[in-house]
Amino acid sequence: MKTEKLELVCPAGTPAALRAAVDAGADTIYCGFRDATNARNFPGLNFSREELGDGIEYARSKASKVLVALNTYPEAGHPESWHRAVEDAADLGAHALIMADIGLLAYAAEKRPDTRRHLSVQASASNPDAIAYYQRTFDVKRVVLPRVLTVPEIAALNKEINVETEVFVFGGLCVMAEGRCSLSSYATGQSPNMNGVCSPASHVRYEDKGNKLVSKLGDFTINQFSQTEAAGYPTLCKGRFVTQDKPSYLFEDPTSLNAAQFLPELMEAGVTALKIEGRQRGKAYIAQVVSAFRKAADAAANGQPVPPLGLENMSEGQKETTGAYNKRWQ
Amino acid sequence: MTSVHKGPLAPLSPVLLAGIVAGPLPHKALQPLLNLAIKQMHTLHPDVFERMTSVNSPRFLIDPVDLPFSFIMDTHPDCPSLEIIQDFQNEEELYVQANVRGPLVLLIALLEGKIDGDALFFSRDLIVEGDTEAVLALRNAVDGADINVHNDLLSLFGPLGKPADAIAQLAGKVFNRFAKDLDRVSQATLAPLQRKCDAQAHTIAELEETVASLKKQVRRRAGKTA
Repeated sequence: MKTEKLELVCPAGTPAALRAAVDAGADTIYCGFRDATNARNFPGLNFSREELGDGIEYARSKASKVLVALNTYPEAGHPESWHRAVEDAADLGAHALIMADIGLLAYAAEKRPDTRRHLSVQASASNPDAIAYYQRTFDVKRVVLPRVLTVPEIAALNKEINVETEVFVFGGLCVMAEGRCSLSSYATGQSPNMNGVCSPASHVRYEDKGNKLVSKLGDFTINQFSQTEAAGYPTLCKGRFVTQDKPSYLFEDPTSLNAAQFLPELMEAGVTALKIEGRQRGKAYIAQVVSAFRKAADAAANGQPVPPLGLENMSEGQKETTGAYNKRWQ
Repeated sequence: MTSVHKGPLAPLSPVLLAGIVAGPLPHKALQPLLNLAIKQMHTLHPDVFERMTSVNSPRFLIDPVDLPFSFIMDTHPDCPSLEIIQDFQNEEELYVQANVRGPLVLLIALLEGKIDGDALFFSRDLIVEGDTEAVLALRNAVDGADINVHNDLLSLFGPLGKPADAIAQLAGKVFNRFAKDLDRVSQATLAPLQRKCDAQAHTIAELEETVASLKKQVRRRAGKTA
């Protein structure tokens, strides 16, 4: 069924970023607590209980909603932090909880049934059977789809499921089976699913050699950028590897997703919400990207062409891709 | 041995020219002003320094590439400091955990959260070296603090804040106008060089294609004879 108006779901890593997202026109903001319960547990980032309460109040005053990401997997034998996070987020008035772990979903469904449950992209649910299972078992209201599906695949999926779908439209791109990648675990000993990042900052080093910028992850040199090249993050899947004497990007280029041009098709495909990636980015990024996508979503809702967004400077490597939405490979 | 320039190039800006003029003056004369500024920041934004305790309150070398001096910022939660330094030979002796290099105007915009640090990094206008986790923590801490350098410094003037604001506004306008003029001068000066560079880049790209094609042929022949 065609969507009339797409919901804009925007990131916030700090209270200032939350306010910036609300002020820029976000319908919904997602964020996390300052602990291991969320997959962006970076130094200096995220919300205390008090900050989240204030943030929810601020969002409400402007008719926006707040989602709380509890999207890591509780440690065996120590589920207390995750359970407390479910209780606290619900008590503070979060509109929904974003979760991936089936144990945590079960806990939230049983203890706090009145707070909506969204299935995190970390669960990597991308087919009707898997999604129906989460809906039937945990009464999940929305699923965040992995960034591996084409627009026709999303349209076909929406016809077979009975929950809302949310898709990524801007920011970091992962074309792996999300929640199941072990590249950074191999390189750094830290998991993207538990520590929340493909390149933990504690293992990242940049070296300015004058004529080139060298980026390293743990013991691995990931890339060397010449003076005139735009730089990217040192993630293994976006590393430059030398094969047959030629350095090239074998898996992914350092680039960011921008699916703005597909908004009319995504509406036609029955998508409910658009997700912008980047809880780890600053409030200037939030303000610029959210504001641009607000205009784009409104234009699409009014049947007008989506305007150029001018977000190349915010993109990794200053390059953009439409990713799997326009997939030309199997 | 040829020395190589590290960090982003200094833009032709009023800051660069002011730095050249101020270069011969004793830079330590600025220290009392920096002491006041960091004290004010500590008073108005204690959260910034408290958040830095999660990464053991590191010291940073802040290096505006368009000024002839740099700063060392200590993020101790009780007594943070900002020290001006010049002509250091060995970075190791500074006992800093990380370096942040970029044009002054961008560093201030970053401090105020008006510009995205990752975007500056992608465009190579900002270089960080050393403990990336410490830099990330600092970025997140200042980004969440709603710092406004103009207003924060004006609050130091108390009842004289209003006239000081008027002077600062005027200075800001002159600065912006001068910056635009210098930008135009810079573009006009560099245009012939840019054309030459574009032509050379085109030639290099063609040569690279030729070399790649030749390498392919060599590999094919080697494969046939194997």
